[in-house]
Amino acid sequence: MSLSAHQLSVGYHGQAIVKDMDLTLPDGRFIALLGPNGCGKSTLLKCFARILPAMSGEARWQGQNLHAYPSKQLSKELALLPQTQPIPEGIKVQDLVAYGRSPYTGFWGKLSQQDHQIVEQMMQQTGTYELKDKLVSELSGGQRQRVWLAMVLAQDTPYLLLDEPTTYMDINHQVELMHQLQRLNKQGKTIITVLHDINQAARYCDHLVVMKEGELKHQGSPDEVLTSAMLKEVFSLNAQIHRDPVAGTPMCVVED
Amino acid sequence: MNTPIKSLSLGILLCMGLVLLSWWNLFAWSVVPVTGLDVWHAVTAFDSQVIAQRIVIDLRLPRLLTALLVGAALAAAGTIMQGLTRNPLAAPSVLGVNAGAALGMALVSTLPAFYGAFSTSIAAMLGGGLAWLLVMLLGSAWRMGGNDQGRLVLAGVAISALCAALTKAVVIMEEDQAAGVMTWLAGSLADARWQSWSTFWPVALVGLIGALLLTPALNLLQLGEDNARNLGINLLRSKLLGSLLVLILVGATISTVGSIGFVGLIVPHIARLLMGQDFRLFLPVAMLLGAGLVTLADTLSRAITYPMETPAGAILALIGAPFFIYLVRKRTL
Repeated sequence: MSLSAHQLSVGYHGQAIVKDMDLTLPDGRFIALLGPNGCGKSTLLKCFARILPAMSGEARWQGQNLHAYPSKQLSKELALLPQTQPIPEGIKVQDLVAYGRSPYTGFWGKLSQQDHQIVEQMMQQTGTYELKDKLVSELSGGQRQRVWLAMVLAQDTPYLLLDEPTTYMDINHQVELMHQLQRLNKQGKTIITVLHDINQAARYCDHLVVMKEGELKHQGSPDEVLTSAMLKEVFSLNAQIHRDPVAGTPMCVVED
Repeated sequence: MNTPIKSLSLGILLCMGLVLLSWWNLFAWSVVPVTGLDVWHAVTAFDSQVIAQRIVIDLRLPRLLTALLVGAALAAAGTIMQGLTRNPLAAPSVLGVNAGAALGMALVSTLPAFYGAFSTSIAAMLGGGLAWLLVMLLGSAWRMGGNDQGRLVLAGVAISALCAALTKAVVIMEEDQAAGVMTWLAGSLADARWQSWSTFWPVALVGLIGALLLTPALNLLQLGEDNARNLGINLLRSKLLGSLLVLILVGATISTVGSIGFVGLIVPHIARLLMGQDFRLFLPVAMLLGAGLVTLADTLSRAITYPMETPAGAILALIGAPFFIYLVRKRTL
């Protein structure tokens, strides 16, 4: 099972943002897509999530063209948490999380006993169980984000794509989310997320993919990728690399 | 109260109300006196020698059945449109489908060049489909961003006005047909007979069953396109299927009783209010309510200017227009 790009170009209005990319994402890892604004990291993720079509080349899932893969089957294997989410009206938290089971239910969407168990378990895992009878529209932004996370977790897919999941969160919720993703990764889920914060990525993720101007520049473990030379090359930034005093992972400190 | 029990008791209540309303519709405001008892005899032990009973069976019953099915079909069409566009103002009459279908029918039934080219039902579906396609393109509603809701309604109003103007032009050019087309534009059940019923019900039934089968997908579409796709919905297929169902339901209705507006707009909102946001629960309720509303309008259509008839479509517009204004104000203020 793996996600890969083959001579893949993706963009908007005929303008390629990701250009002729060849990339194979390793299985079972916690992967961060990094790069300066406009480098195409979110565009690439959107193509993997089938929000955007390939302009040329192909995105592949298990060796098959991702965009021709059967929708229902794919929804059991690959889940997406989009960056901005609508605020659905009149839907309770538990009902929203239950929609995460739709790929598995029969046509009419009736939940089995097992589905109910999974929904409850995911609400507990994301700390949203106490909110289950509330309307999603009544929640705070951070709570709502956790409810959406519970929904994609209920999808029970081996792969999970996230588009800048920490962007609108307070720092405590950011840390909480990264810990949670780390736990899920340890349980066997492959996680691919677009992140802005390089130090956050280096601390929690175990595989970094760095892009610039639509091209793949580096990929590998944080120790291999996060170097002064890379920061200079990709971000035009003078920075030193130090060890995170708590986790021992590399972190960058910007020079004046 | 427990949701299934609540739904069930509401369903039973609605069905009982509908039966009473139907019974009333069969005898009320008849120029030749018909009593409730005549209705009972006509249904249980029909005697073709009794005039009142023959009126019930030959005229009233096909009219009632048509009213019930028209209401259910329009309510279903409105529900699907609101679900597909995620726009609370979406309905066949608002987004140009009614006006387009009317134009299509006016063309084939009056202009010699088009005469007999298609059956009127096909013409209604083609006209409605074309108008809706234009509205969706102008209102860029295929991207369900949610920000273009006003634009979509504006496009609907513009295309409706254009179709209405063209329809009038066609009618004026073919004066001898004008009176018939005008009554039909106002939407009336007075001409519903067993013959028109026999072609109407199979088509409408297909549309209604299709609409029920689409409800799980409509539920997921309410979470936005990205989430719906993520949960395994084939967006293109669902949208095409939904659009096709709307055209079948509205086309069949319009070619049978003419253009009846506002049922598709009002009824889904009331059903949602009663049942919550789950399309699987509120669509069946919307169908029952729609059937009741049109039957009520038809009954009143005989009462208001008794012994003359007012088109049921006009009565529904009287109820519907203030409701539309209420919805618009609630959204924007």
